[in-house]
Amino acid sequence: MNTPSSLESLIEALRCLPGVGPKSAQRMAYHLMQHGRPGAQRLADALQLALAALRHCQRCNTFTESETCVRCLSSKRDASLLCVVETPVDMNMMEQTHAYSGLYYVLMGRVSPLDGIGPGELHLDRLLARCGDGVVREVIIATNFTNEGEATAHYLSEMLRSRGVSVSRIARGVPVGGELEYVDAGTLAQALRERRPVAG
Amino acid sequence: MNQRHHVDGQPAFVLHAYPYSETSLIVDVFSQDHGRVALLARGARRPRSVLRGVLQAFQPLELGWAGRGEVQTLIRAEWQGGQPLLAGKSLFCGYYLNELLIHLLPREDAHARLFSVYAATLRRFADGAQESDLRCFERALLQELGYGLLLETDAAGLAVEENAHYAYEIEHGPVRLPGPGRSARSVSGRTLIDLAREDFSDPRSLAEAKQLMRTLISHYTGGRSLSSRRIFRELHEL
Ligand SMILES: [Zn+2]
Repeated sequence: MNTPSSLESLIEALRCLPGVGPKSAQRMAYHLMQHGRPGAQRLADALQLALAALRHCQRCNTFTESETCVRCLSSKRDASLLCVVETPVDMNMMEQTHAYSGLYYVLMGRVSPLDGIGPGELHLDRLLARCGDGVVREVIIATNFTNEGEATAHYLSEMLRSRGVSVSRIARGVPVGGELEYVDAGTLAQALRERRPVAG
Repeated sequence: MNQRHHVDGQPAFVLHAYPYSETSLIVDVFSQDHGRVALLARGARRPRSVLRGVLQAFQPLELGWAGRGEVQTLIRAEWQGGQPLLAGKSLFCGYYLNELLIHLLPREDAHARLFSVYAATLRRFADGAQESDLRCFERALLQELGYGLLLETDAAGLAVEENAHYAYEIEHGPVRLPGPGRSARSVSGRTLIDLAREDFSDPRSLAEAKQLMRTLISHYTGGRSLSSRRIFRELHEL
């Protein structure tokens, strides 16, 4: 097949997206060029703008356009609480709970030994510096309940505890409104292992 | 290898999973009767996929798959239970076992005995992983791969003596030395005997066995550095 070189480099460029193989990259490229030209232009402009404007907040590591993000600057947040999450999406989920008024640190990943991702790759030294500012008193670890999320939590708790910061981990268990009949067995087994005394 | 497989109700563990397309995973699996297989888990990355939570490493599963060629298609996955989730140091030791299996076990070679050693090791990890568990697993792995260690007789065919010193020559066995050796392959007779009996109550035997196993594993993995080991070490350097 004879593909023009600009089309070929577009296909190649699209493959940098997660989970996009050669076939879907080709489909996307054809779509953008044939039916989606205005959309393609918007995409190109937005990419250029984001590349120029976005950076990581120096305090919480999430994306922002200024040196420090709006949330980190807010006087309404409790700066003694720091919640560590894997991604900005997880941070948004935590915000939706309306149950948390502290600040965040976004790891932008997780420890994954078999993918070669450790503390160096995650720049955990930056989190450590953040926790050592004298203001943070409790760190709440809200990484995923996967093996990688647990490995990350273990790393963080070891690292922080040795520096005198109090560390907690969000609890897991049966979902709110969950009927045992419909809960998966793995969740139920873990909820049973992590049972706690009933107050009263 | 190109025959069509249809497997069901197969006890297995996930060793590692890689994202495939936007919605699917390739899962590297260690199964009881078919050894290591690569399975395509269609839709496993979709938000509401049932597979998403089930295909976790270190949990006993029952899998069904079909297809031909290098990557077959996962049809069914059921969580079996009985294995508490690994946490802390045990979790990192679990990653180490998986990395060894990924690097050393060829695909589609049945190793039912090693499978049961692996499952038993993970069960012990649930109460806290011990170094001796790692040494026993490494020994079982090398044995299964046909690199079994010569521990009770030396390379010259003589019984290993507790108070003698040896250098372990890969593929030949322990070669007796006139005095204590200084290389990574130097071991005391006591360590060899303890390793054969899987008795690690003597700290020196445990330390020497670790060094010896590390040298052997590095040889058989072609000198590849294991990232699970590096990342666990970095934890203590923070
Ligand atoms: Zn911020």
